[in-house]
Amino acid sequence: MSGRSSGDLWERIEPLLLRVERPSRYLGCEWNAPGIAQGCTSVVLAYPDVYEIGISNLGLAILQEVVNDIEGASCERVYSPWIDMEREMRAEGIPLFSLETHRAVSTYDIFGISIPHELTYTNIINLLDLAGIPVHASDREEGPLVIGGGCGTANPEPLASFFDLFVLGEGEESLGSLVELVSRGKSQGWSRQKLLCEAGRLPGVYRPSDYEVDYSDDGLIEGIRPIDGAPERVRKREVDLEDWPYPRHPIVPFCEAVHDRINVEIFRGCTRGCRFCQAGMIYRPVRERSVDSVVAMVESLAGRTGHEEVALSSLSSTDYTMIEDVTKKVSAICGQRRMILSLPSLRMDGFSVEIASGLELGGRGSFTFAPEAGTERLRRVINKPISEKDIIDAVLCATRTGRRRIKLYFMIGLPTETDEDVEEIGRLVFRVRDAVRSDGMAPPTFNVSVSTFVPKPHTPFQWIRQETLESIERRQGILQANLRARGINLSWHDSRASTVESLLARGDRRLAAVVENAWSSGSRFDSWSEHFDYACWEKACEDAGTDPVFYLYRERERDEVFPWEHLDFGLDRDFLFKEYQDALEGKTSPDCRGGQCLECGVCDEQGSGLALEGIWSS
Amino acid sequence: MEPLRLRVQLAKRGKARYVSHVEFSRTLVMAARRAGLPLQYAGKYRPRMRISLSPPLPIGVTSECELVDYFLEQYVSPAEAKVALEKSLPAGIDVVRCRLMGSSAKPVGKLIDTAAYRVELPPDAGLEGDWRKAVEVFLGMEVVSMERVQPRRTRVVDLRPGVHRLEVELGGRGEGVGFLMVLDDGTRGTVKPLEVLKVLAGLAGVPEDSFQKARVHREGLFVRRGERLVSPLELGKGKPAV
Repeated sequence: MSGRSSGDLWERIEPLLLRVERPSRYLGCEWNAPGIAQGCTSVVLAYPDVYEIGISNLGLAILQEVVNDIEGASCERVYSPWIDMEREMRAEGIPLFSLETHRAVSTYDIFGISIPHELTYTNIINLLDLAGIPVHASDREEGPLVIGGGCGTANPEPLASFFDLFVLGEGEESLGSLVELVSRGKSQGWSRQKLLCEAGRLPGVYRPSDYEVDYSDDGLIEGIRPIDGAPERVRKREVDLEDWPYPRHPIVPFCEAVHDRINVEIFRGCTRGCRFCQAGMIYRPVRERSVDSVVAMVESLAGRTGHEEVALSSLSSTDYTMIEDVTKKVSAICGQRRMILSLPSLRMDGFSVEIASGLELGGRGSFTFAPEAGTERLRRVINKPISEKDIIDAVLCATRTGRRRIKLYFMIGLPTETDEDVEEIGRLVFRVRDAVRSDGMAPPTFNVSVSTFVPKPHTPFQWIRQETLESIERRQGILQANLRARGINLSWHDSRASTVESLLARGDRRLAAVVENAWSSGSRFDSWSEHFDYACWEKACEDAGTDPVFYLYRERERDEVFPWEHLDFGLDRDFLFKEYQDALEGKTSPDCRGGQCLECGVCDEQGSGLALEGIWSS
Repeated sequence: MEPLRLRVQLAKRGKARYVSHVEFSRTLVMAARRAGLPLQYAGKYRPRMRISLSPPLPIGVTSECELVDYFLEQYVSPAEAKVALEKSLPAGIDVVRCRLMGSSAKPVGKLIDTAAYRVELPPDAGLEGDWRKAVEVFLGMEVVSMERVQPRRTRVVDLRPGVHRLEVELGGRGEGVGFLMVLDDGTRGTVKPLEVLKVLAGLAGVPEDSFQKARVHREGLFVRRGERLVSPLELGKGKPAV
């Protein structure tokens, strides 16, 4: 089993496995793990968190197969070694290794790292360091091209100095063309420099060192200058889902993962236009997969994985044009194969809840709804105008069909929020519970989860200041006082972690020093409450001479140059600003699939428009 | 009607030996689903497959005798089941043989009580004479006390009654010393091979880290009938399975 090829580190890794938690994280011989042909263009893709989370990431699963389907290319995986494994690896001098062939990541041609969210930044630097790759791109003279991808590329500026390249938007096509370029470069003996220059010209590929940022004395950005003929702005890419029926052979982990199920994307993008939601903005336009393709994927993946659950996933699954048709057909497969069908991201309207209630779930389990805010006024501000009646009806419907647990998601710290809005969250939950009672049913358990709102780039709220830590903590106190009852469980995210998230979310290149300081003083797995160390981040800012107030608590001017100004995710700045102004006035905007175009900028420039299955087939 | 049981003997080798018992169980369930076996499900809302597994194999130990009983809804030919399962198992987990058991057969989880292990020490782990003496002392002891550390409590157990055979064997890996151990494992309690090895090392005066690299292999799982060890795949023969 070992020493099959040069560079296989298995014999050195093996003795560590009996000393660490869950050794199956490091084996790489799971069901459907690909066979790796050596001697061709080699890619290793990383997810900067523990195995159980990384293995559930759909994006990496898709991209690994896309690359492995390219003639002459191979793609393997790596995840952040857990704390115990990192300790053992460093003690034994074992570098970061790929799972499939256990070779050092530093020997690959491309090292792709997914950037899922801000609290993985220290893990990203740690991956580079464990791999023995210089953490600063400017210090690299050899070794793999270090490429970032995923939704974190909406503003990768705090990480700009650690990456050679970023792939903006959806990576199916971009990564493919990068692999082809590297293959060409290898056969023609290009230098690393030449390869990077060429790569920086590919559509959707952003090379941060091609841009210089000028700052004025007050710390604001004066301009972002492309150099050496780089384009003014780099446009993200998106693909037609019908052309990419991936994953076809998803890896089935030995251990339980966060999502133990078949995941079939039914569409990308969202037209709802919730103003806080970055995904809903940057993945536009909506592109649906055809019912036939969805059904074919479910059918083949059921046989290939053995999973007991199928999720038809998207940002808002019941918005799928042919949702009734597709759930009927998929339910039939589920019946034959003894699987459960689930629809994540349920909207709170009668239609959605009825569909979800009718699925083979058979009445057990829980439903999750996200009213986001406690009052209708505030829900209009964020453009998620659900009425209280919608919420009550949704919960009633779920309870009538037998759900004994209801999970409700809220945010605090939203723009224009007052203490009154927060108090209403508690009252709303009680009113919903009373409605269930007066309907003659025993109320279900309510798990109320409250997170802290963080303004994100490329959204209408990119101008707004973060709510202060003190005020968030005061509002959490209000919630705690208001939501004390049997059968109601309240939980919230650590608001200090949200503060770090917010600092980095709209950060610029100057924050690289903060991230590096935090990492070098031991920050890892910052999204894990048991590992998050706020003091470490405070000190990291202090040592870097960074004033967090500048990034966190400053209202931005309309025409301020943002750190992500040169990264084009298709959204028109004037559209975002108008949405921001409308939000402040409590004015909602309609879903554009109703026909009223809001001129968000996505369709005009691309001429692609919405790709809606129901419209094609009617 | 009580369901049929498909009893499958599996080998767990190579990298798969670092797969834990719970993970192994999950893997067998999903493999059977991929293989399309006509499985019986229990539970109304979220049906679960019914299987029964032999006692846990410690992480890192290889085996050629892991057992699983799949509860079937209808007849399958064991030969066809073997082929289908083989194609559905990840690398390192292989089917040794399959047998259809009668509906009254006790499931393996309630049956197995004994395991046989081969243990091979690295060449530098102590002298043969010392180990032989240690085995002799061990077998002569009336009580072998050992602290068993578990997540919730630590207790002192007596290993001696659970050790049925213990012999020094040569000719394994290189020049190293090896052992054959037949130990309680399953319905009558469990003694782990590394626990026995730890006591032996103490008696032989060998430091602990020198036997940490021991290779342990589970060679057989049995049901004790008096002095006799019976294979769970031979039980109930003579009674037609269908």
